[in-house]
Amino acid sequence: VIAPGAIGIAAFRELLRSGRVAVEEVDRFDTTGLSAHKAALVRDFKPRDFIPLMKLRRMNGLSRLAVAAAKLAIEDCGATLSPETGVAIGTAFGPVQTSVEYMQEYVEKGASLAPPQLFAESVANAPGSHIAIEWGLRGFNLTITQRESSALAAAMYAATQLVKGSAQAALIGGVEEANEMLFSVLDRIGALAHADGDLDEAARPFDPRRNGFVLGEGSAMLVAGAGTRKPYGWLAGFGIARDTTAPISDWGTDPESVVRAMKSALDDAGVDTVDAIYASANGSLRGDELERLAIERLFPGKPVIATKQIFGEYAAGGALQLIAALLATDEERHQNVLVNAISAGGGIICCVISRDAA
Amino acid sequence: MRSPDLSTRIAVTGTGIVCSIGRNKEEVWQAIVESRAGIGKLTRFPGETFPTDLAAESNAELPAGRRLSRTDQLAILAAREAVAQAGDIPLARAVVSSGTSTGGLLEGEDYYFRRIVRGRRRAPASRVLQQPTSGPSDAVAAAFRLGGGVISNATACASAGAAIGMAADYLRSGHADVAIAGGSDALCRLTYSGFNVLQAVDPEPCSPFGAQRKGITLGEGAGYLVLERWDDAIARGATILAELSGYGASCDAHHPTAPAEDGHGAEAAMRRALAEGKMTPASVDYVNAHGTGTALNDAAETRAIIAALGTDVPVSSSKSYFGHTLGASGAVEAVVTVLALQHQIAPPTLRLHESAAECSLDYIPHTPRPMKMTNVLSNTFGFGGSNVSLLFKRA
Repeated sequence: VIAPGAIGIAAFRELLRSGRVAVEEVDRFDTTGLSAHKAALVRDFKPRDFIPLMKLRRMNGLSRLAVAAAKLAIEDCGATLSPETGVAIGTAFGPVQTSVEYMQEYVEKGASLAPPQLFAESVANAPGSHIAIEWGLRGFNLTITQRESSALAAAMYAATQLVKGSAQAALIGGVEEANEMLFSVLDRIGALAHADGDLDEAARPFDPRRNGFVLGEGSAMLVAGAGTRKPYGWLAGFGIARDTTAPISDWGTDPESVVRAMKSALDDAGVDTVDAIYASANGSLRGDELERLAIERLFPGKPVIATKQIFGEYAAGGALQLIAALLATDEERHQNVLVNAISAGGGIICCVISRDAA
Repeated sequence: MRSPDLSTRIAVTGTGIVCSIGRNKEEVWQAIVESRAGIGKLTRFPGETFPTDLAAESNAELPAGRRLSRTDQLAILAAREAVAQAGDIPLARAVVSSGTSTGGLLEGEDYYFRRIVRGRRRAPASRVLQQPTSGPSDAVAAAFRLGGGVISNATACASAGAAIGMAADYLRSGHADVAIAGGSDALCRLTYSGFNVLQAVDPEPCSPFGAQRKGITLGEGAGYLVLERWDDAIARGATILAELSGYGASCDAHHPTAPAEDGHGAEAAMRRALAEGKMTPASVDYVNAHGTGTALNDAAETRAIIAALGTDVPVSSSKSYFGHTLGASGAVEAVVTVLALQHQIAPPTLRLHESAAECSLDYIPHTPRPMKMTNVLSNTFGFGGSNVSLLFKRA
């Protein structure tokens, strides 16, 4: 885990226990004139602690976060990964910052003189590629970019390949980088939580006063199918659906679609119910309401945990949410928990995580 | 969790395509049999100067829609053709799986330029909303009201191949009943400039596997397949166009942009596709190659094909017709591959006047070749060393 407020799984566990949120005033770029001024940013991350300087020069910020998280995950699993290991990474926006930097050079120096190194890093799968090169992983290598459900979709793909036997193990995760372009655009469209009258700026999942989510960044990776340590848990089943009432860039209004995906995940896992739901809720008006209605229909009275107020939204958040749920099977002694990812545009992916093997 | 049941056969019941040689598959196939390429002067970015000036642009009239990028529009056009051909499919249980390299970056660039001129507060954010690489899948899902799910991947030029393979897996595991799978990419300045600064663009129309090849020709387009479980397709009386019998994916783990010179990753992808389809190397009748026209790719892919399949299999590159459609290429070329199976005609490699010394296979030069084909492979490889090979079987 390379998360806002936590580097490493122990620190992340501590963050979750503490009840703190890792959201702070943005000081990396200017937010003057915007409605929102806070984000869940990764501090105290020193890429050189994880990646040799020579290699670091060839990686953009997104790749550095992902490679560092992968290094921690591989060390934690305790095994040397076989070359037959696949990589599946989710990122909602990918290397936006690199594209911006490329276009700056393009404007300043001309289309013929922009730096090729920036172009090579401008593809969304650059982080996955660096991970494959660093550890010699020759299995599948895929980068999923399905908005808020990117990380869970990556987990579903990788788990499918593992049960199919296409690879021996997989590195699964998500990565996202906050930057001025992304922040200002999300702010302009009113997606970000903001202060309003007496209300301070914070993501308030499921709260009637909510007015948006907090942008997060970082990377979380997990190793599936290999390792010498006791497993944190098992990816037990997945469900996928789409809300046909959703417009292209917002959440829809049909909770039955979410119910369908949750039921499908339970069915895939072969379980009747779960002990808790790690909700997709991030503080957005429509998304949270949709999920609330769906959970009330299928799991009335079950504990619902909304973690994205702690470390923010998007693919890093999706992967951190997955890891938070894995930790909960141990901490809370939950047998099965459900993780939801509900995207603007209507995409829904749900995953059942089990404490023990089926 | 349920594993994809590999004994479940996957039927292709619809195909759709748009690229520089046609707005639909009839036009595309007509151009292919007439050996007519669609490569001309770049017109999309007037006033801007690049080291090379050729492109394979689509002239299709695109479906209008608020907040649709050009990439999204190309996707809807191709998906519409595929869905129409498939007929009465259960859209409420249909998943869409798309690959794209840049999504709506073209519109993102417009936003970026406006920001430079007008400042952050006065540039219309609606333009940049079109940028996410989830755009093609989101747009296709919305256009056809698909209820089964929506997945996007941006795995550079291997994207659409991966999108198709993944969709087949979800049909086989019962996570969806029908899939609309493919990819889309519109030309944008960043890729046009980027491949030029990498010196990977041929100043002449690309000549894959040729002795004089100097790189790719950049193109744009979209391709989609409708996939169903074979028994479902039969049960509803659908016309089956081909079978998607295998999907193989691998990574070179070698270099961010260059392929491994020995072709080991490409070889592994082809071997995995064959293993999934339970086919022997000798049973492959034709390979629709990735064949970009770069010195490294064509040599490495040739080595990979020889290692995986031997030296007898005919190979060609459709990119000699419509350039490299980047993230869409896996789907655009999968549609061409299915058309080749249906017509029992292998498309040629155009402008292959002399094969390079390191390219020693039969590349079907100049003119289409009528031949008996049962099992064919479609290769697609990308930046980051990602490789995908799809195995199709004649229906």
